[in-house]
Amino acid sequence: MIRVLLVRWSRYNPYYLEPEPRKEVYHIPETELTPEQKEERELKSVRPIKAATNSVTSSVFNDPVLSKFVNMMMKDGDKIIAKGIITQTLENMKRKQVEKYHKAPEVKKAEIECNPYVIFHQALENCKPVIGLASIQKGGKFYQVPIPLTDNRRRFLAMKWMITECRDNKHRRTLMYEKLSQELLAAFSKEGNVVKRKHELHKMAESNRAYAHYRWW
Amino acid sequence: METRPETVSIFRTQENDPVKTFNEGCVMVRQPALELISHLKRADYINPTLRYLLYGVKGSGKTMSLCHAVHYCSTQGWLVLHIPDAHLWVKNCKELLPSSYHASRFDQPIQASNWLRNFRTTNEHFLSKIKLRQRYVWTKRESTEEGRPLGELVDMGVSRVKSSSDVVGAVLKELRLQAGGTEGGFRLAVAVDGVNGLWGRTTLKKEDKSPVAPEELTLVHNLRKMINNDWCGGAVIATLSQTGSLYAPSSAYLPQELLGEEGFDSMDPFIPVPVSLYSEKEFESCYLYYLDRHWLQHPHSQTEEGKKELIFLSNRNPSVLERLCAFL
Repeated sequence: MIRVLLVRWSRYNPYYLEPEPRKEVYHIPETELTPEQKEERELKSVRPIKAATNSVTSSVFNDPVLSKFVNMMMKDGDKIIAKGIITQTLENMKRKQVEKYHKAPEVKKAEIECNPYVIFHQALENCKPVIGLASIQKGGKFYQVPIPLTDNRRRFLAMKWMITECRDNKHRRTLMYEKLSQELLAAFSKEGNVVKRKHELHKMAESNRAYAHYRWW
Repeated sequence: METRPETVSIFRTQENDPVKTFNEGCVMVRQPALELISHLKRADYINPTLRYLLYGVKGSGKTMSLCHAVHYCSTQGWLVLHIPDAHLWVKNCKELLPSSYHASRFDQPIQASNWLRNFRTTNEHFLSKIKLRQRYVWTKRESTEEGRPLGELVDMGVSRVKSSSDVVGAVLKELRLQAGGTEGGFRLAVAVDGVNGLWGRTTLKKEDKSPVAPEELTLVHNLRKMINNDWCGGAVIATLSQTGSLYAPSSAYLPQELLGEEGFDSMDPFIPVPVSLYSEKEFESCYLYYLDRHWLQHPHSQTEEGKKELIFLSNRNPSVLERLCAFL
């Protein structure tokens, strides 16, 4: 394995600025810059800039949600294996959908979604819970209180449920990417164990709505 | 196009079969394959056999050009002897029996019987037409008489697994003798993928843990006799392959490096056919094919910028492009 000296997670002086990986920002000609952007560019030409992380690219195919999912799938810092599993999953999903597409009659072709990225994002959306539960202590006892969730927390819960589901509930011989692609396709059509878990959480929150006033924030 | 079981298994695995996914099978017609086919058309088959060697970097399309040429041969009615991967015969062999015919050689019953089964499916109509010219004795009670059809010999090899390697040797010898013949003459195409595995070293070991040289394997010994150009009435098309090769560095792709001295001397003289990476037009046509078959699904991959990025990442290498487009 290639070992790279990691500088990014060391503590930088607050004087350093963040890097800008997107290519479009640099293609704007001089004349079309707003005054804030001109100021920002002048600042960047003077101040030092932090090193970019290894996971961020200027490629058009860069997807932050997918990178987060890869990081959550990773074990012992082995990003290569995690990224490999995700690419195999996307390929598998695309293959199944394209096969179905080519065999379907003309009428049904428009309904079949072949893009694995669209399927992934939609499946994740379908797995995100709207409301969550928190354990709050009142008078010596702990109550499960329904609370609103931030966007980040909802995304994290959806990804976590997906990964634990695929790791635990599969046959010994099925590979991870196979099980993941099956779960994602099921979540896309709102079936499967992960959306079931989301619905159960919603039901628990609904049944405990009497305790909602225990929340003080 | 008739389905050829062993050519399909060359593409990675059976599950990721592009023929099944796109509901059709397509082969890109490229310069090396066309060159090979034009040579095959113009050669005269009275002189000893010409040997063609396809070489190129990893993933540049040598096996596909070989399959294209083999398909041409079979449409012209030639008898095709296709060995999908010669490296499978020199490594990972579970059973090595000492040969009954020759004391110091070793037999490989599983590989030989698999090959005979494939041979039977690809050359159905030749099996009854070719008659044996010699009597072969297998054991005290079994023998195949002169004048019997080849099909019987092949069936016997498939059913009696222990003597299948000797059956392979007999089949090759018969075909070599009868290929250029004037009465009922047929043309013989020998297509070997990964021919550099026939010379060099093997990973197989004898019972006293000493390494086995390739000459000591019956299958390899007989195949080498086929590749020699002492018979006429056909052609030998071979491919070099670093992917399955043993004890060869991964950057080696030239004939001199992969065949070694012994192999180069046996193959010499041969007609080298270089297989290069995709040219711009070929890349265009591959890209447009993927777009047409709805394989490139990412919205950015359909733009100009995405295409430039694909060219940069794959360096126009066919196999790398395929693996990139798989998840995009």
